Amino acid sequence: MSVRTEVAEVTAAVQPTERRRRGGRGRYVLSKVAGSVGALFFMLVFNFFLFRVLPGDPVRTLGRNRLVSDKQVAELRQTLGLDQSLPRQFVTYLENTFTGQFGLSFRYRQPVSGLILDRLGPTLVLVGTATVLSTVIGIYVGMVSAWNRGRPVDNVSTWSGLVLYSMPEWWLGLLLLAVFAVGLGPVPGLFPVNGLITTGVDMWSVAGLLDMAWHLTLPVITLTLAYVAEYSLIMRSSLLDEMGEDYLLTARAKGLRDIHVRRRHAARNALLPTTTLVALNLGFVVSGAITIETVFSIPGLGLLTTEALSVPDYPLLQGTFLFFSAAVIVANLAANLLYGLLDPRVRT
Amino acid sequence: MSTSRLTRCVTWCSSLALATAAAALGAVTASPAANGGQSAPVVFHVGIGNEADSFNPFLGIEAESYEMWALMYDQMITYSMKDMSPQPGLASSWDTSNNGLTWTFHIRSGVKWSDGQPLTAADIAYTYNRILDGGPEAATWGSYLKSVTKITAPDPETVLLTLSKPNAVLPLLPMPIIPEHIWKNIDEDKVKSYPNEPQNGQPVVGSGPFRLVQGTAGGSSYRFVVNPDYWQGRPNFDEVDFTVFKNGDTLVQALEKGEIDFAEGLSPLDKRALDGRSGITAILGDSPGFDEIAFNTGAADPKTGKPIGDGNPALQDPKFRYALGFAINNDQIVSKVYQGGGSAGDTIVPPSYSQYHWTPPSDVAFSYDPQRAGQLLEQAGYKMGSNGLRTMPDGSPIGTLRLMARGESPTSVGTMQYFKEWLNNIGINAEVQTMESGKLTNVILDGNFDAFQWGWYVEPDPDSMLSYMTCGQRGNWSDSWYCNPAYDKLYTAQHSEMDQATREDMVKQMQQMLFMDAPYLVTTYGGNVEAYRSDRFTCFTPQPNPGGVLLFQYGAYNYVHAAPVGSGVCSSADATAASASSSSGISMVAWVVGAVVVVAVLAGALVLALRRRATAGQRA
Repeated sequence: MSVRTEVAEVTAAVQPTERRRRGGRGRYVLSKVAGSVGALFFMLVFNFFLFRVLPGDPVRTLGRNRLVSDKQVAELRQTLGLDQSLPRQFVTYLENTFTGQFGLSFRYRQPVSGLILDRLGPTLVLVGTATVLSTVIGIYVGMVSAWNRGRPVDNVSTWSGLVLYSMPEWWLGLLLLAVFAVGLGPVPGLFPVNGLITTGVDMWSVAGLLDMAWHLTLPVITLTLAYVAEYSLIMRSSLLDEMGEDYLLTARAKGLRDIHVRRRHAARNALLPTTTLVALNLGFVVSGAITIETVFSIPGLGLLTTEALSVPDYPLLQGTFLFFSAAVIVANLAANLLYGLLDPRVRT
Repeated sequence: MSTSRLTRCVTWCSSLALATAAAALGAVTASPAANGGQSAPVVFHVGIGNEADSFNPFLGIEAESYEMWALMYDQMITYSMKDMSPQPGLASSWDTSNNGLTWTFHIRSGVKWSDGQPLTAADIAYTYNRILDGGPEAATWGSYLKSVTKITAPDPETVLLTLSKPNAVLPLLPMPIIPEHIWKNIDEDKVKSYPNEPQNGQPVVGSGPFRLVQGTAGGSSYRFVVNPDYWQGRPNFDEVDFTVFKNGDTLVQALEKGEIDFAEGLSPLDKRALDGRSGITAILGDSPGFDEIAFNTGAADPKTGKPIGDGNPALQDPKFRYALGFAINNDQIVSKVYQGGGSAGDTIVPPSYSQYHWTPPSDVAFSYDPQRAGQLLEQAGYKMGSNGLRTMPDGSPIGTLRLMARGESPTSVGTMQYFKEWLNNIGINAEVQTMESGKLTNVILDGNFDAFQWGWYVEPDPDSMLSYMTCGQRGNWSDSWYCNPAYDKLYTAQHSEMDQATREDMVKQMQQMLFMDAPYLVTTYGGNVEAYRSDRFTCFTPQPNPGGVLLFQYGAYNYVHAAPVGSGVCSSADATAASASSSSGISMVAWVVGAVVVVAVLAGALVLALRRRATAGQRA
């Protein structure tokens, strides 16, 4: 999570330079899009070499304790296409990327694109739901907390937010598991301990959807609790910045009720940093939540990527990382464009 | 908040909740009716720690894949439950010509593929020929057909193997037999990515006791239904489900809750926690593998023989390495590092293979005896210097031995930390270096190490394990760089020795050679913890019997022969006649909680929407 916040700060720091540029909306959008495309191409090339620098030889990892003769080893090397020269492998990589198949995974021997699509669903549902929930809850909590600064409600929400923020996600997950899935004392084990859906249940039936909601409740709660502080703390501090402003005094002087001053005037102006954060974090939704996917054995993209690292499964790693970086780059672009829309000072 | 708004919300929310609850309840009451009349199917739920990586038997490498192929396919020769010696499978008998160059296998008739086609000798010959022809098939299974030049099926009940020189490893042929009429359409190029998974709801065609109906490589669950016409008799389960648990704690919890009936690959600590739990039986079975501390016995370019790397010269002396065997306390490693999950080791062939295992006699066997280690080092010229450290015979310092541990394995790191202390006790400096196993592989191939910790899994025939220690494997799988022409000569001789007793003697002699030269100090033999709901299922047979594992054996014996408690299949545990309750589909709780969650989310959304509208109204 800390990475996300840093990215947000970096983007925020970029803004003043943008402000000096002249040329209006069109040029602003164009420069942002061009930058993103450039970044994507850089990732495309960098990706290939990044994983080949990793120590370890896929053939030896996959072949250990199974292959015996050097002839067998050579056959496997040839099957994986690792007998070819590095430039040739790079060309194959480009071909596979532009045909959209991303090559065959070393470990699963299936097209990487198919594997990513298979795993994307669970990740989107899990992390996506948690991100939406934590955004909504976080913004609300941050708002209430700032408005009641120094009162018990603020203290409780700030402290519990900090505790949840610093708590390892997997540990929180295990605690929830122990209490609500296994059952502790008078609390019965209400939720399943593992997985996305009961084996044999059709995912697209009513029963399947309910079953999935039942399976995902604990992991989503865990992630939501873990993410919520990020939003609530940022919302709290940006609202506090606004609270001394004169326009709020004006609003109150007009006789508006407190709740309306807060929601219609203060909160709207304080939402800017949070919006950036949300847009950026959406880019990270697809990369999953490795620890929570592990604790609850949810077959998501995070888990897929971690496991690919141990081989190392070059095509799978290239595919997933390219996908992740594309998502982040697009989200970044969206954040920049959105910022331009919301805050006209940026694009002029 | 105005009264009207509140009322509206309450009305909306409650009607919505009612509707959802009604739908859920309706479904709950409807679902048992679908099953009505016949008794619930017997489903055996297995929790495993890893995904199957491919259902194509020419591609997968994970143990989970091998386990599932064993459910889907048969083998021509299987392994006995007692000691994993070769036993009739699809071949009911076999014989060998006197010179050992022709093997004749007599194939059972009447075995059918799941699509009704007969399984004949032609299918077997087809499978083996695919392997002989090279490609990914050869990469996976080629080693079992060493020296085999021709495979034919002269009639539907005979398979003939022709060899260029005798191969004592035969009849060990663990390849799953695939149907020719399906696989003839999958050529060399297609097979590289052929998933062999169910398509359009059609199960994969096989001959084994179960059929894969649902599941994909790398997925999180796999579903197999029984083959009612299995030629060895109908299994006692109607369905076997595998679920992947990426977290060991949840695997145990699922077993305790009863979500699964069998948990595979637990830790020794889990066993301690589960022991004494009623209705659950946890066992520690021998797993035929070993862990070792390996030394750099002199890395050299396999072609030119020129030394490479920077291994410590002291470790190139067999006497030095052998002496270190007395400095290691294997019992302590087993109890402290492996938490009791294993047993102290000695040679590279585990004692579960009793016919091949060589037990070191007491005068040479290692025991924790630092004094004896010191004496042996003194005798070999590694005298204690004035600074409390031993020196090389020429008086130069030995230096610090680099002990490499695999960072991802706590037992690897733990073993090396103890080893370091024990080396210090006998006057040898050492340091532990931790790295990821991929990195370690490179380091080993470059010869830039002194010692490392790793392990091997040993097949029922020790031939391939023995081959890893030959000179020819340097630069390939040999990781200690051991090279001893006398050992190589024995290896070649045992590989073509057709007299079993003579071969066993040779194998034992080779183990003795390795023991005295000590390229490896075998620290532990593996143990595997499994646990199952003994209140629901019974009749499991360990392999090897006694002392072995219950699942992940060679073959699918327990999937066919284990049974629900109270079914009367085997007499032993039926006294506790608890009925086998393994519900398929989703439980009542799922419906209720799932519905509550949905209602809560919808209600939340509704409240938000209403609040917005209300505010807009108020403002106007």
